[in-house]
Amino acid sequence: MSALPELIDGGVRLAVPLLLASSGELVSERAGVLNLSVEGMMLTGAFAGAVGAAQTGDPVVGVACALVASGLVAVLQGLLSVTLLADQIVTGIAVNALALGLTTYGARLYFTSGRDVGGFDEIALPGLSRIPVLGPALFEQSALAFAGLLLAGCLAVLFSRRTGIGLALTAIGEDAVSADRAGLPVRLVRFGAVLLTGVMAGLAGAQLALADIHAFTDNITAGAGYLAVVAVIAGQWRPWPTALACGFFGIAQALQFAAPTLGVEVPSALLIMLPYLLALAAVSGFARAGRSPSALTVPFVREARA
Amino acid sequence: MMRQLTAAPGFGWVLAIAAAAAVGLALITGTGTPVAVGTGALRDGMFGTPYAIGNALNAAAVLALVAVGFTIAHRAGLVNVGGEGQIAAGGIAATLVGVALPDAWPPAAGVPLTLAAGFVGGAVWALGPAVLRSLRDTSEVITTLLMNFVGAGLVALCVHEESLLRQPITSAATLPQSAPLAPSARLPLLGPPEAQATAAILVAAAAVLVALVVTRWTVTGTQLVAVGRSVPAARRLGLPVARLQVAALCTAGGLAGIAGATLVATVPFVLKEGFTAGFGFAGLVVGLLAGRSIAAVAAIALAFGFLASGGINLQIAAGVPASSVQIVQSVLIIVVAGAAILRERGTS
Repeated sequence: MSALPELIDGGVRLAVPLLLASSGELVSERAGVLNLSVEGMMLTGAFAGAVGAAQTGDPVVGVACALVASGLVAVLQGLLSVTLLADQIVTGIAVNALALGLTTYGARLYFTSGRDVGGFDEIALPGLSRIPVLGPALFEQSALAFAGLLLAGCLAVLFSRRTGIGLALTAIGEDAVSADRAGLPVRLVRFGAVLLTGVMAGLAGAQLALADIHAFTDNITAGAGYLAVVAVIAGQWRPWPTALACGFFGIAQALQFAAPTLGVEVPSALLIMLPYLLALAAVSGFARAGRSPSALTVPFVREARA
Repeated sequence: MMRQLTAAPGFGWVLAIAAAAAVGLALITGTGTPVAVGTGALRDGMFGTPYAIGNALNAAAVLALVAVGFTIAHRAGLVNVGGEGQIAAGGIAATLVGVALPDAWPPAAGVPLTLAAGFVGGAVWALGPAVLRSLRDTSEVITTLLMNFVGAGLVALCVHEESLLRQPITSAATLPQSAPLAPSARLPLLGPPEAQATAAILVAAAAVLVALVVTRWTVTGTQLVAVGRSVPAARRLGLPVARLQVAALCTAGGLAGIAGATLVATVPFVLKEGFTAGFGFAGLVVGLLAGRSIAAVAAIALAFGFLASGGINLQIAAGVPASSVQIVQSVLIIVVAGAAILRERGTS
């Protein structure tokens, strides 16, 4: 494969998990809940997916395990940030540390002697995958990736600012107290949004472990969840710009593998830093210009009415 | 009203410690190790030998430095999640100075210079997020977090490139790490040589004392709290808000940088990948649990230092994965943060 198609192919491959994870996080942030724990949810999903697939030999069971496990992490995060009104940043980071610790511990016990993690094979969409350069990169994916991307697209349409449920989401994320007075179930919607983040992050983790790498390694996500959160911020809480940001991060990550074929002589450590530098530039450049949901990270408490 | 990140009532603490202990026991039994063997290994790793105690005190010193910095920034209303990256930057700066120092210098001159380099490195690492926060209102949580990944990459870059800090490659077996620091840059030992306790303990104690005095009894300490409580109110009082925020976050970075300097200035006296060893996160946990109190930072850092030392032996002697310590730490912080609501309910 020549250099440019390889870069695009690798970029798309690395962008897919980011895109899946950020599609859920986008919904949650618009409802006013920031989940830094996307990282931990992805990691848990990747671990549970790998265990499920290795145990049964069926990657579909692996995906189911991933969804249950990352859903449990989301329940924990939802309990903390929505029910107990705990600080979302602190608990998010703590949940990530818990997930990292537990999956590393679990991997020591379970993946001791090279277990075979079965996974998904790539499917080429007839016709579309024949398009030069972009075709193989975009239209040759695992069934899991196609299903996940379809789901992410549905979420974007369902929660767009033109649907009732999307408007309710915006109302809750901008001013939870007024939304509550208007009769919207604030806590229910927020908890649901956190759960949705868990499901999508679980899919992202499963994609990483079952379709991408076909194995579980310690800290397999290595900050991808944080990149997904940054993509939402850089994307101004809108689906298309968020997807674009994921694409940029994917390409930036792929550069470290494609650089040698591109004939670029740069130390690999420098390229490993690139996506994070890009992410830094994105948040510092955009955060002021854009408008974040006003009630983001503000827990909702119903005021005593006089 | 200042945001209460983790302020839990006494009951919350009891709950947290009970939950952490239960999880810890479950993790020991989960590997098939008898509980008595596990707790025995933990105890030996904490207090069993002079080396265990020295190791615990050294770890406590690193944690205290990071957590004192976190607390200073926290008092000014900033959450510094960047300890890991700041330790890395401080370690790189300290190595730059440490390998260049003449061997003949006395440690009394070389060591302070090395630690000062660490402070500068860490402070510079925090400067970007601090300026972005004060000028553009960019969340310092996200930026300091991302800087951790960049910091880890920078360490990798430094130890892999001979033009940077990698030791001269003499054979295929030359490890990707820096040349050893000059003897004049190495931290002197305190107490018996078998304990390997270093002067880092004194440095951390000094940092705790200075921070205690500054936060309690100086104008700067009061100004920091004013900024932390309400930026608009602090502005109306005419306080230099931006300067205070930048100073607080850079001090936090600098103290983490000193922590990084002490890590490279102790055995084996080299900079290598992964030398930060999760101290940035553990220091953050100590700072969060201490809830803005410098005295509590000292106590909790000491406890965590012994826990870390015990955890290492738990892995060596009882085969329990070292990540157990991280799990126990995160359970502590989750329960304490989750129980904060109990206090609000109790007082309202």
